[in-house]
Amino acid sequence: MFQSLRKPERDRVTITVNGHPIEAIAGQSVWSAMALNGQTITRRAALSGEDRSAYCAMGVCFECLVEIDGLPNQQACLRRVTEGMAVTTQEITETTEATNAGL
Amino acid sequence: MKADVLIIGGGIQGCATAYHLARQGASVIVLEKDYVARHASGVNAGGVRLLGRDMAEVALSKASMEMWQTLSDELGHDTGFRRQGLVNIAVDETDLNTLRAREAKMRATGYTHERIIDRGELRERLPHVNPNCVGGVISELDGYAIPYQSTNAFRLAAERHGARIVEGEELLSLRRVGCSWLAQGSSTRFEADTVVNCAGAWADRIALMIGDNVPLSHAAPMLMITARMPHFVKPVVGAVSRQLSFKQFQNGTVLIGGGAKGFADRAAGSTRLDYAKLADAARTTAEFFPIMRRAAINRMWAGFEAYMPDNLPVIGPAVNAPRAFHAFGFSAHGFQMGPVVGQVMADLVLTGRSQFPLGPFRIDRYDRKVL
Amino acid sequence: MQAFDCAIIGAGPAGMSAAITLAKSGACVAVLDQASRAGGQIYRASADSPLPDAHVLGADYTDGATLIAEFERVDITHITQADVWHIGDDGRILFSHFGDTRELHCREMLLCPGAMERPMPIPGWTLPGVMTAGAAQVMLKSDAMVAKGAVFAGSGPLLYLIVAQYLRLGVPVAAMVDTTPRQNYLAAAPLLPRAMRNLPMLKKGLDLLREIRASGVPVYRGATDLQVLGDTRAQGLRFTSASRSHDIAADTVFLHHGVQPNLNMTRAMDLTHRWNADQLCWQVDTDAFGQSSVPHVAVAGDGAGIIGADGARMAGRLAALNILHRLDLLPQEGLDRAAAPDLAALAAMSPFRAFIDRLYRPSDALRLPRDPDTLVCRCEEQTLAQLRTGFEQGARDPNALKMLTRCGMGPCQGRQCGHIVAGLLSDWRNEPPETVGYYRLRSPQRLLTLDELSRFHAIPAPTEATE
Repeated sequence: MFQSLRKPERDRVTITVNGHPIEAIAGQSVWSAMALNGQTITRRAALSGEDRSAYCAMGVCFECLVEIDGLPNQQACLRRVTEGMAVTTQEITETTEATNAGL
Repeated sequence: MKADVLIIGGGIQGCATAYHLARQGASVIVLEKDYVARHASGVNAGGVRLLGRDMAEVALSKASMEMWQTLSDELGHDTGFRRQGLVNIAVDETDLNTLRAREAKMRATGYTHERIIDRGELRERLPHVNPNCVGGVISELDGYAIPYQSTNAFRLAAERHGARIVEGEELLSLRRVGCSWLAQGSSTRFEADTVVNCAGAWADRIALMIGDNVPLSHAAPMLMITARMPHFVKPVVGAVSRQLSFKQFQNGTVLIGGGAKGFADRAAGSTRLDYAKLADAARTTAEFFPIMRRAAINRMWAGFEAYMPDNLPVIGPAVNAPRAFHAFGFSAHGFQMGPVVGQVMADLVLTGRSQFPLGPFRIDRYDRKVL
Repeated sequence: MQAFDCAIIGAGPAGMSAAITLAKSGACVAVLDQASRAGGQIYRASADSPLPDAHVLGADYTDGATLIAEFERVDITHITQADVWHIGDDGRILFSHFGDTRELHCREMLLCPGAMERPMPIPGWTLPGVMTAGAAQVMLKSDAMVAKGAVFAGSGPLLYLIVAQYLRLGVPVAAMVDTTPRQNYLAAAPLLPRAMRNLPMLKKGLDLLREIRASGVPVYRGATDLQVLGDTRAQGLRFTSASRSHDIAADTVFLHHGVQPNLNMTRAMDLTHRWNADQLCWQVDTDAFGQSSVPHVAVAGDGAGIIGADGARMAGRLAALNILHRLDLLPQEGLDRAAAPDLAALAAMSPFRAFIDRLYRPSDALRLPRDPDTLVCRCEEQTLAQLRTGFEQGARDPNALKMLTRCGMGPCQGRQCGHIVAGLLSDWRNEPPETVGYYRLRSPQRLLTLDELSRFHAIPAPTEATE
């Protein structure tokens, strides 16, 4: 179970993770904001659809790919939270169909 | 090592030729300086395209297209071929006029595989296309395959019939002695009655060893491929008058081509990319398909391709030596032709004839021209 | 467009030290780094730790703040949050920056890509809840985030350091499962006397082990047959130690067995690489000044072969001195004189390095998967058995196997499976790693959107900007 030992900070922001609002510290990594709120699944594996989660937390494994503000393939461990950011787990597998035209 | 036929080059033309020869009982050696499908045959865009072929190529390409439909079954290995159709998009009336002229020419020759589609059908086939596009042309039999898998499928099938593939062996010299070709590789000597030159971007050097001069050049067409995206397009897509070409594979990745060329340094064996041109390709792609703006590019590359001045291949016998044949210079659209070229070359080697008119592909077609 | 004298990629100990040396001699320097603050992995957030008291992480870490402060004082162009995705040997660098693609030119370039952890492909290593010890460190340093009741498994100084750091912070640790093979102690023993010359380093390591032992955390030694338990997420670790099988329940398992150079940048540039038989990994081939097979491209720090943070500082300075010389800002005599202390210090470190490398040499059983169903390529979900089939179908080269099976074609671009695939092929072909080779890598070195690519902006050097 993940836990924060962070010294008290006032600079808080609100983001949503899969639609649920959560509080985070400005500048915190998206991954830690997710994980501290119990959302450790970041993406589905491309073929099997199995749950995946961050492995290296330093940008070299690409397991923590999430969608941020609608943009897929964002590394949750490298991106920092900002006020109002919308994070969703990345559901793209090799059978996913597009639902909008991106217009 | 001895064989009836020595094939130089382990690309799709070489492996398909080996397969068709071995299948008919000839003993075959394929000499490959790197590994099978290392260059254009393994790293091309995978388009299996009959649409828009030069008139001289249509008969061959059409026969090849029919072979692709059942090729995986025939070879016993998946080529990754998927028949998805190919649509070339028209952006305006000028494009449509170009298509109508082409259609008239095709009909006059008796070909009916290309069909013009209107704006409504375009939207139906490509729901995510920019709504400003006015129509296009479709060829239903077209699609894509996985280049390395396809070439390797030919290789495995050839080996099953007894063909020997020698990788990592470069041809250093080749000479005709009596009734044999003596070939010196980097570590082994080979002897064969017949040689077939399928050496792709290096084929002019092999042709020279055989005794034929040929105005072959080479270039490095650039490609890029994305991480998986939700499926949004089934057909392979091109455009009538713009550098647009892409396809979404069954695994969700999208391969973007378009013909922009990087820099090919054959002496150094390396290619460089022209990022400004790739940025153009990115802009064009996103313009036609706004959904692509958010696509994540994962790899970019360029392979060596051999080009003839008229963008038509050389297919046929050598003119300055007996028992030598050429199949190269496909000018960046040879992958689709692989299956039929293999058969044509086997026919030439075994019978001296082909059922297809090969006049436009003679190696000496430039001999009397001033280039 | 006017060019920078030198561009440095990466602001860890090597990159920062190099930038300081170059700037002090008047070179016009650009430093590009992925993070929002300098420090690299090792000194990450050392200057602004979110922890109430960063000193529990140790002096080696907090000392980084001094270097960062000095780096931030010198006159250079520091471009933060720059995702470099193309480095051309023509001196052109392309990077993503807040949604745009930007371009800068430089005469000389110094790559400091740093290290990454050696992947540890044991059964279950892709389950959620399995992370690396380095990940535990990064999460602790940059976000003050810890995992309570985790199992730590593997071998090597970084593993012991993070366990000790957890204990100092009062974070419960379920167990430490040490996989260092018993025969490694015997093999390393002859190297110990020379390593003793670096007594402080040796003592630091022993103190860590003593600290862990004194804490009462269960420590298992000589562990083999590791397997992560759980179907959809990690529930614990199974292993054999002292001839007995153990199951330790935990929802987080941190793995570690050493670090290796982060190769993608140097590989994508086609620099010459060599196999390091002591560290069992590929590294870029450089001279003592970090100069690569391309004269105006240097590589320093762990990205050029694992030497640790102190070594990286020295290597960064040495590379900078050589670059100053190449820029005609430092004569040969000056170079020789200035380089002597760092060259001597690096040489003095090597016996200790040799001892550590031998002691913590990863066992083949952890370096290469054994179970046919274990995933080798995490992105494209290719198992050991599938790769073996591909090999039997004629794909004997790493690139051929990649094209046949898609291993290494996913978003991580082979960073995780590269060494494993090359190692497996080396075994299967019964040929040395040098003969087998490695993936052919190309730009972009990270995913970039079509939108980013389509927007180019050039970055002028400071002198041009003021004209």
